[in-house]
Amino acid sequence: MTIASGTVREAAIAAPPPRSAAPPARPRKRRQLTRNRWGYAYVAPFFLVFAAFSLYPFMYTAWVSLHETSLSNINGGTWVGLENYRDLLQSEFFWNATRNTFTIGILATVPQLCMALGLAHLLNYKLRGRTFFRTVMLMPYATSIAAATLVFSQLFGRDYGLINTMLEAVGLQAIDWEAGTVSSQVAIAVIVTWRWTGYNALIYLAAMQSIPGELYEAAEIDGASKWKQFLHVTIPSLRPTILFTIVVSTIGAVQLFGEPLLFAGNGTTSGGSSGQYQTLGLLMYQQGWSNFHIGQAATTAWAMFMIILVIVGVNAVIGRLRARADR
Amino acid sequence: MATVSFQQASRIYPKSERPAVDSLDLEIADGEFLVLVGPSGCGKSTSLRMLAGLEEVDTGSIVIGDRDVTDSPPKERDIAMVFQNYALYPHMTVEENMGFALKLAGLSKDERATRVREAAKILDLEPYLSRRPKALSGGQRQRVAMGRAIVRNPQVFLMDEPLSNLDAKLRVQTRTQIAALQRRLGTTTVYVTHDQVEAMTMGDRVAVLKDGVLQQCDTPGVLYDRPANVFVAGFIGSPAMNLVTGDAVDGGVQVGSGMLPVPRDHLTRAAASNGKVTVGFRPETVRLVGPGEGLPVRVNVVEQLGSDAFLYTSLADAPDDVLHSADLVVRTEPRTPVAAGQQLWLGADRGALHVFDAQTQQRVD
Ligand SMILES: Nc1ncnc2c1ncn2[C@@H]1O[C@H](COP(=O)(O)OP(=O)(O)O)[C@@H](O)[C@H]1O
Ligand SMILES: [Mg+2]
Repeated sequence: MTIASGTVREAAIAAPPPRSAAPPARPRKRRQLTRNRWGYAYVAPFFLVFAAFSLYPFMYTAWVSLHETSLSNINGGTWVGLENYRDLLQSEFFWNATRNTFTIGILATVPQLCMALGLAHLLNYKLRGRTFFRTVMLMPYATSIAAATLVFSQLFGRDYGLINTMLEAVGLQAIDWEAGTVSSQVAIAVIVTWRWTGYNALIYLAAMQSIPGELYEAAEIDGASKWKQFLHVTIPSLRPTILFTIVVSTIGAVQLFGEPLLFAGNGTTSGGSSGQYQTLGLLMYQQGWSNFHIGQAATTAWAMFMIILVIVGVNAVIGRLRARADR
Repeated sequence: MATVSFQQASRIYPKSERPAVDSLDLEIADGEFLVLVGPSGCGKSTSLRMLAGLEEVDTGSIVIGDRDVTDSPPKERDIAMVFQNYALYPHMTVEENMGFALKLAGLSKDERATRVREAAKILDLEPYLSRRPKALSGGQRQRVAMGRAIVRNPQVFLMDEPLSNLDAKLRVQTRTQIAALQRRLGTTTVYVTHDQVEAMTMGDRVAVLKDGVLQQCDTPGVLYDRPANVFVAGFIGSPAMNLVTGDAVDGGVQVGSGMLPVPRDHLTRAAASNGKVTVGFRPETVRLVGPGEGLPVRVNVVEQLGSDAFLYTSLADAPDDVLHSADLVVRTEPRTPVAAGQQLWLGADRGALHVFDAQTQQRVD
C-alpha cells in the first residue's frame, strides 16, 4: 500500500505539470462516486421494501384518518379534516385504552427488564451448561403469541386454573383474574414478561461479555462485593444497551395486541366486559374491524405513533443529556 | 508495610498438565522493590495474581506480613494493583476512579477528597481530576492507575507490566518516576515485566522466572556478574552474553577449530556430567587476540554507536546464514578499523568467564 502510493506520487512528480489542476482531480471524484453508487445499490432493496410496505401505508393511514369512511369503501369516504382526532380525544374509550396500555406497559416492562438484567448477570458466570440455559431463555420468544396466551389463560382460569388451585392450596382466595382490572392487567403483563425476558437477557448478556474482565478484578481489589461490582461496573457499562431495550420494549408495549386479544380465550376486541384490559391496539381493531369506522381506526393508529414518538424522543434526550454529563 | 512470602506456591490451570507457576519460593522484605522478570508466558502474571488473590493457589501458601492469605479474597489482603491496561472505570472521573476504594471502605467525602488530592499532587494529576479516562493520554491514564493504588496506602503494591503501553521515551521517564515514588513511600512492591532492562534498573532484587520455575533471585549486580545458570546468563544483559558450548580439553574448551582457555578447576567440575562445557563471556570483556589464538570468527555486521562499537560475528566454522550472524557479539573502541567479512580471533579475560556444565546448565564456580 505504502509502496504503491509512493510510486504513484513519484510518477506524478516525474510527469510534466498538467495544464490545469482540475483535470486530474475529476477522474478521482468520478471513481469515488462510482464506488459509492455500488453502496447505494446495495442498500436500495431495503429502501424499496421500506417504501412499499412502511412508508406508503404510513402516509395512506394519515390520509384515511382525515376521512369519514368504512372498511368496505376505503377510498370513497368524505373528507372531515381533523374531526376524527377531535372525536378521539373526547372519547372515553380512547382514554381508557391509553391508561390500560400504560399500566400494562409498566407492569410488563419494568419487571421484565430487571429480571433480564439479573438473569444475564447470572448467565455471565461460567456456569455448567450455559448454552443450554441460553437456548431455553430464547424459547418463549420463539413461541407464538397465540399458543402462549392460550396456555396462560388456562393457567389464569377462574375455576380450574393452576394458579388459583395453588393459591387455594396455600389457603388464599381464588382470584377471578379475567374480571378484575388490576388482576387482568397483571396476568397480561405476566404473559408479556414471560415472552420477552429471555430476549432482553440475551441482549444484556452480549453487552456484558464485552466488558473487560480486568474491570471486575480491579473492583474486587478495590474491595467491591459482587453486588457493588454489578452496581458500579456492570450497570454503567450497560447504560446504552439498557436505554435501547427500554425503547424497544416501550414500542412493543404501546402496540400490545395479541395477548389482550386472546386472553379471554374468545378473541374479542372489547378487552374484557368493561374494557378493563382493552389496549390501544385492541381499540383500533375494534373501531376498524368490528365497528367498520376505518377512518377512526387510522386516527388511533396515528395517535399510537405519536405516543411512541414522544416516548422515544424523551429517551433520546435523556440519553443525550447523560452522555453530555459523562464528558 | 509488610513482608511477602511465597512458600512452595504452585498454580496448575485446569486442563493443563504443566504448572504455570511451579513451587515458587520467594521472601520479599518489608519496603523492598522486587521485580519478577522472564520471557512471555513464564508465569509472572500468574504469580502476581496469586499474590493478589485473583488466581487460586493450588499447593503451597502465600503470606503477607504475618498473615497467611492463601485462601483470603483480594479485598482482605490490603494490596493495590496496577494493571497492564490500567483497568480504569470508564464512566468515573479521575477523582472517582482514585477514590472508589476509599468510598467502598466507608471514608467520608472530605477525607476521600483530601487523600485523592494528595495523591494527585504527587502524580501531577490535579488538572485532570474531573476528566474521564477516555479524555486522557496514555501516560496520564498510567498515572491515574498508579494514583488509584497509592491513595489506598496499602501493604503491598502489585504492578503487572504497567509501562508496556507507553512509548519508549515515556517508558524510560516513568520507570524512574515509579522507582523514585516507591522509595519515597517505602511500600513493599512486586513488579512484573518482561523487559530485563526495566528489571535491572528498577529492582532492589530481581527474580528471574522460566517456565514457571524460579531461576535466580538476587540483586541486579549479582545477576549480571554471577548468573546461576545458562538461562539467566543469556537473559540478563543487553546485548546478551556470548555463550559457546564445546568439549573439555586440556587447558580449555574446544569450540570448532578454536580453543578458549578455561581455568582447570572450573573445567573439571563443568565437564563432570558429559564432558561438554558451556562458556559465557560478555561483549565488553572480549579481547581481540592474535591470529591462531582463541576463537576464529567472521564479522557479519559492524555497528557504530559513537561511544562504542559492536561487532556481530559468527564462529568461522559455523554455516554462513542469518541464523548465526550474531552468535558472538564484541564491544570495542569506537572507530575500530574492522569491516564486515573480516576474520578475527577472539579471547576473553579469564576472570570474566562464566563456566557452566552443558548438561545441567548450572554455574560451576
Ligand atoms: N486463565 C488461564 N488458563 C489457562 N492457562 C493460562 C491462563 N492464564 C495463563 N495461562 C498459561 O500459564 C502460563 C503463564 O502465563 P502468565 O502468567 O500469563 O505468563 P506471563 O509471564 O507472560 O505473565 C502460560 O503458559 C499461559 O498460557
Ligand atoms: Mg503477563
